[in-house]
Amino acid sequence: MRWGMVIDLPRCVGCQTCTIACKQEHALPAGVQWRFVADGEAGVYPDVRRVFLPMQCMQCAEPPCVPVCPTGASRRREDGIVWIESSACVGCGYCAVACPYHARHLIHETTGYFDAPTPAEAATARPDRAGVMTKCTFCMERVDAGRARGLVAGVDADATPMCAVACIANAIVFGDLDDPASRVSRLILERRAQVLMPECGTTPSVYYVAE
Amino acid sequence: MTAYRPPAPVELIPAMRQRLWRAPAVLNFALGGLGAGFYLVAAVAARLEMAPALVTAAWLGPLLVLAGFAAVTTEAGRPLRGPRVLVRVATSWMSREAALGGAFAATAALEFLAPAPGLRLLAAILALAFVTAQGFIVRRARGIAAWDVSVMPPLFVVSALVSGLGLLLVVEPALGRAPRGDVPGVTLVVVAVALLVWLAYLTWSPEPAFVRATRALRERAPGALLVGGGYVAPFALLAVARTLGDSASLAALAAGALLVGGQAWAKWLVILTAGEFRPITLASLRLHRRPS
Repeated sequence: MRWGMVIDLPRCVGCQTCTIACKQEHALPAGVQWRFVADGEAGVYPDVRRVFLPMQCMQCAEPPCVPVCPTGASRRREDGIVWIESSACVGCGYCAVACPYHARHLIHETTGYFDAPTPAEAATARPDRAGVMTKCTFCMERVDAGRARGLVAGVDADATPMCAVACIANAIVFGDLDDPASRVSRLILERRAQVLMPECGTTPSVYYVAE
Repeated sequence: MTAYRPPAPVELIPAMRQRLWRAPAVLNFALGGLGAGFYLVAAVAARLEMAPALVTAAWLGPLLVLAGFAAVTTEAGRPLRGPRVLVRVATSWMSREAALGGAFAATAALEFLAPAPGLRLLAAILALAFVTAQGFIVRRARGIAAWDVSVMPPLFVVSALVSGLGLLLVVEPALGRAPRGDVPGVTLVVVAVALLVWLAYLTWSPEPAFVRATRALRERAPGALLVGGGYVAPFALLAVARTLGDSASLAALAAGALLVGGQAWAKWLVILTAGEFRPITLASLRLHRRPS
């Protein structure tokens, strides 16, 4: 089993709902976004297009961030999810400069949006994250908990990453890349989905349908 | 018939300056290279025999390396977890750097207290391995186009040799001694080789992200300042010093200072000026004019 994601770019309207859903699900502090939707422009007049590109950790099969980690805090699970054990991270930033996808975020200090923490910020504060690297984990706790209850990841909302659940355009699909019958596998095959920057040799698990 | 050319990747997120490694990281690379390089050249200049310069290098070299470690510790988010960086020597060049730097400092300090040829040789090998590890740390940063090039480890090694020779040229006269052997002559050769390696680095990769990130080092004032002040001027001063002998010791001293400063500036340029995250590109985004 290898978890993966397919993002259908023509469907994406750049609403940033996935960004907000992720921030809320993981109680991310001010200034930290594990995923975001880049608003880009491609082409030359008159053949110009506005392109929305949802960005996150690519959960690479050959993650350059894992072997460089000097403490072993960055790890890759059997199911392909790359994660960070906060209690082992020294916050050196090496994994972030090793990542070609701008996907890792060092939380320097857990500041809030206002002078004093709001009740919501206080309730969801994660002091263990201060000074350590953080990143998208494909909502692994949510997926694991859902599957433990017999739910199917990518099908049942409670076993699917929040970004995919929240997407208003159904542009984000989650599933098992090793299962040829899964929706992600079929989308990759039928819609000729591609990965970002294959020249980096990281074998990402996030695919994009460009046309 | 013209050959098929795949469409150029579409750049959707531009390159951006990395802000994770700042001045403390540069200090680590600069002081580490200076300290280890100084010990290495002092040991080789003395042919691993006890010499005044090597005695100085035996305490000053490790001190500089440890000062670099102390500097970079201030940049870590959780500095008290510092000892954990030693656990991944099997895969991480940062772990290897820490282990080799620590081993070098310990061996050189031991040699300072209990001089022995075997310890001198071991410390010199560890110093070389340490600066090589620093080069590989930068080399393995795949997100930064200007760092992810195979010339980086040799660049760090010759940089350490140049700055070490520079410090030797400064320290010996400052302590009222003349360097053993033809240190200015050897330095001339090493500086020439180092300049070639630097120029090779600037043109190492045709990748657009690399070319753009290193443009300031090639075409603008910071790069010109390095080549002029860090290589050409000390080279000229050393040539004068070597020709005129003892009467031009001030020229050798100035050349040494320029070499030390120049290599620190080179590290600054590589880490901070050229340290840009790659742009995010999509290989086959086809554009069609849509009917209005």
